Amino acid sequence: MSKVEPTLERLIFNLNTLAELGEEITSPKAFPRIIKSSLYMVMGSFLASKGAIFRYDQAKRIIYPIASKGFGDIKELTIKLSEEVVKEFVRSNNPVKMIDNEQAVKMLGPARAELEKLGTRVIAPLVVKDELLGFITINEKFSKDEYTNYDYQLLSIMAQHIAFSIYNHSLLLKLVHKYNENRRLYDELRCSYYDTIHAFAAAIDAKDAYTKGHSHRVSAYCAAMAREMGWSEDEIEGIRIAGLLHDIGKIAIDKSIINKASPLTKNECRELNSHPVIGYEILSKIKFPWNGIPRVTRSHHERLDGNGYPDRLKKDDIPMGARIMALADAFDAMTTDRPYRPRLSFVEAVEEVKENFGRQFDPHVVRWFFSVIRKEILGDVEHPSIIPLLQERLDRVTINRILKDIP
Amino acid sequence: MKGKVNIKEFNDHVILYPDNYINDIEGDKLDYMCDYLLKKGIKKFVIDFSGTELINSIGISILIGIIEKVKRHKGVVLFSGLRKVNQNIFNIVGLTKYVPIYRTEREAVDELRGNSVAMK
Ligand SMILES: [Fe+2]
Repeated sequence: MSKVEPTLERLIFNLNTLAELGEEITSPKAFPRIIKSSLYMVMGSFLASKGAIFRYDQAKRIIYPIASKGFGDIKELTIKLSEEVVKEFVRSNNPVKMIDNEQAVKMLGPARAELEKLGTRVIAPLVVKDELLGFITINEKFSKDEYTNYDYQLLSIMAQHIAFSIYNHSLLLKLVHKYNENRRLYDELRCSYYDTIHAFAAAIDAKDAYTKGHSHRVSAYCAAMAREMGWSEDEIEGIRIAGLLHDIGKIAIDKSIINKASPLTKNECRELNSHPVIGYEILSKIKFPWNGIPRVTRSHHERLDGNGYPDRLKKDDIPMGARIMALADAFDAMTTDRPYRPRLSFVEAVEEVKENFGRQFDPHVVRWFFSVIRKEILGDVEHPSIIPLLQERLDRVTINRILKDIP
Repeated sequence: MKGKVNIKEFNDHVILYPDNYINDIEGDKLDYMCDYLLKKGIKKFVIDFSGTELINSIGISILIGIIEKVKRHKGVVLFSGLRKVNQNIFNIVGLTKYVPIYRTEREAVDELRGNSVAMK
């Protein structure tokens, strides 16, 4: 190595380049661009017309170019490295000349011939935290001058900057990978979660010979109303789940009571009416990704006038989700056959809802509910979720007539 | 647009006018332009830097690439119109030893026409 001292101007120029390199690697530009610019800066500093930055793949123990200049297309190039030479580069962590008396060069093995084919003169390892991330390789200087001690020092500093940049980028990639993996696991979890909840809903409905599909319909009605009311997707999801589970407390109620056709005794009635509280107890022990599912379940039989159960809540004390569910639940009960009476027609059901307007049901919720139904019938909703579940076909003339005096 | 290169083409030579900054990889456009012209058979190049305010190490590496390429094609590159600051940078890195530099584009072209210039 020659010992030419750089001029003051040269020092200033190099300092400037280092500052620019620092700026480049911390810039928000895309990684390949940063690496390419960094390579150009290295080459410009040493007047080298050919050079490359290689990335080391630890698993495959190969290096491959991530930026190059002057070689044409070498994208497909891979060079195999031995474990020993990798260790040696990590240990020495300094630029080396491609000559025999460099230990790391001697240890390169077949990789040496590959690098010499490219005309490599100097190899600078890129090492962070004792991990080899890659190499900078540069060919001879355009001026044919030898690389000086000072050049090696400068190259070493530049290599540290670039190694740092690659290290950060790989951390980011790992993070993205981890994120995607978590996302996938979460999606899978969510799927099995839904399966479980659907199985629960099926079990609840199975208990009641007459309410087949009740939980699913309530769930669909609630979600449609919540959407119409402008709830977020997440909130809609929450009430959809609540709808599926709202009668879960019935699991603990005697089947004969649920399916009884004659009027219930006082005791039977008390037992049946305990299902919201039992449901609440069951659901509050489960950690849901949505808030309010146990609360909504507990309050789905409350009435606006305070005559509901179990807590005789009034008006705004009843959670909005429960007010939505109360209507959905009652509406489905009206429009499906029950042990004690046949189903009401849509017109009759609307009449009954109107009669209980402001007493049992929240008027705002009623309005939103009929507003979605109207939209679904008029074809204003892309995926109707209420009318396909109703047992009669409605046309726009009928619906307009029925709903025209909804206050 | 960054890395813009204006060009004047004559029978046997071209004059290239790079952008005001040759300090990032957009400067590669100058390199691509030379590739294209070499393929067309042009061998005499004047690169006029009178509109160029700053050339950094990235710019230097791009220019070296061009000089090498033209040399391989047995062609000639002349620089002209360098501002003082850029002339200094060329001096510092030693580029001035390898490329003839003329004060103006006119002088460079005259030299080319005289056919007396060969790549040093
Ligand atoms: Fe219920």
